Amino acid sequence: MNYEDVELGDDLPIEHPDVSLPKIEQWCEAAGQRFPRFVDHEAARAEGLPGALVPGIMSQGFLLAMIHRWAPGCTVRKIDTVFRGQLVIETELTISGAVTDTDDDERTVEIDLTIVGEDGRTGVIGTAVVAFD
Amino acid sequence: MILDLHTHSIKSDDGRAKVENYCKWIRKKELDLDGFVLTEHRQFDAESDYTALGDQYDLVILKASEVETDYGHVLLFGVNEALVREFDFARVDNPLPMVLEAAERHGAFAAPCHPGRKNVGLFAHYETKGSVPEVHTVEILNGGSIPGEDERSVEQARRHGYRGFGGSDSHIVSRIGYRATRFAADLGTIDELVQALRSGEFEAVSLVGDEYQMISEEEEGVPT
Repeated sequence: MNYEDVELGDDLPIEHPDVSLPKIEQWCEAAGQRFPRFVDHEAARAEGLPGALVPGIMSQGFLLAMIHRWAPGCTVRKIDTVFRGQLVIETELTISGAVTDTDDDERTVEIDLTIVGEDGRTGVIGTAVVAFD
Repeated sequence: MILDLHTHSIKSDDGRAKVENYCKWIRKKELDLDGFVLTEHRQFDAESDYTALGDQYDLVILKASEVETDYGHVLLFGVNEALVREFDFARVDNPLPMVLEAAERHGAFAAPCHPGRKNVGLFAHYETKGSVPEVHTVEILNGGSIPGEDERSVEQARRHGYRGFGGSDSHIVSRIGYRATRFAADLGTIDELVQALRSGEFEAVSLVGDEYQMISEEEEGVPT
């Protein structure tokens, strides 16, 4: 993917990330965030949550990975996310992105980002600024 | 004409959309949308002037507010200095009857938004606290609703005899226009919008493919 190939309004390919328990456990271990609310449904419910939650930083990681799969070699200069709802592990999440602006001088694009939960609720929104060579 | 009556820009704490990018998106996607209303959270943005931007993209861009009450969130159209002085827009527990009465007294138009939503929706509060007689209009189609919430809004609005409009509740650019409101009249100012809302000559619409569709009277379904 080159800058010249990108147009305002383009959609990034939709992804459904792996949020199975083993994958979450693996991430929590690596990130040093092994908290019960991320890996134990009962413990999370005891805290008043709907179930064990996908860690917020992991959500950002999914979004970054989506961008890099769409445009390998690009540089994500900025990513800004808003956590609007709880995303439960072991459910189907849908990640999407759309190009909302382009800058020919800077060779950058702005991208809208969303992660939607199985119930249709948007859990994460955000934007990213992506630079091309 | 069709207006999205519920949008947020970067002026809202959780908004990530630049107003010009909304305009570019609407034109690039060729949405059948004539404009939008910025309803920033817990404030009225008196400073920003989008007249030039509106002229550049041939779109109506108006400003309003989304305030919070003890019965959920409420959109305020036609906000003026007197209304801003009347109560604290930043509070999250303004009494709904007071907000409705103040809006009426100062020539504005107030209507609860996403009323079918848990916690921040009007009808959830009706179940525990009873109805509010001053309510006459609600946002029955909201772009941020999950399946079932708009259906509940439509059903409850009919039950209470409320008129209904639509808005996307967009916080990012690509969400604008999913839900909107079709007006019988052409509108260019906030005063004209308030007048049109008072007249009741509007209908909530939903973007399906490239077309805006109204709610089916027969099926009571919400087009998606």
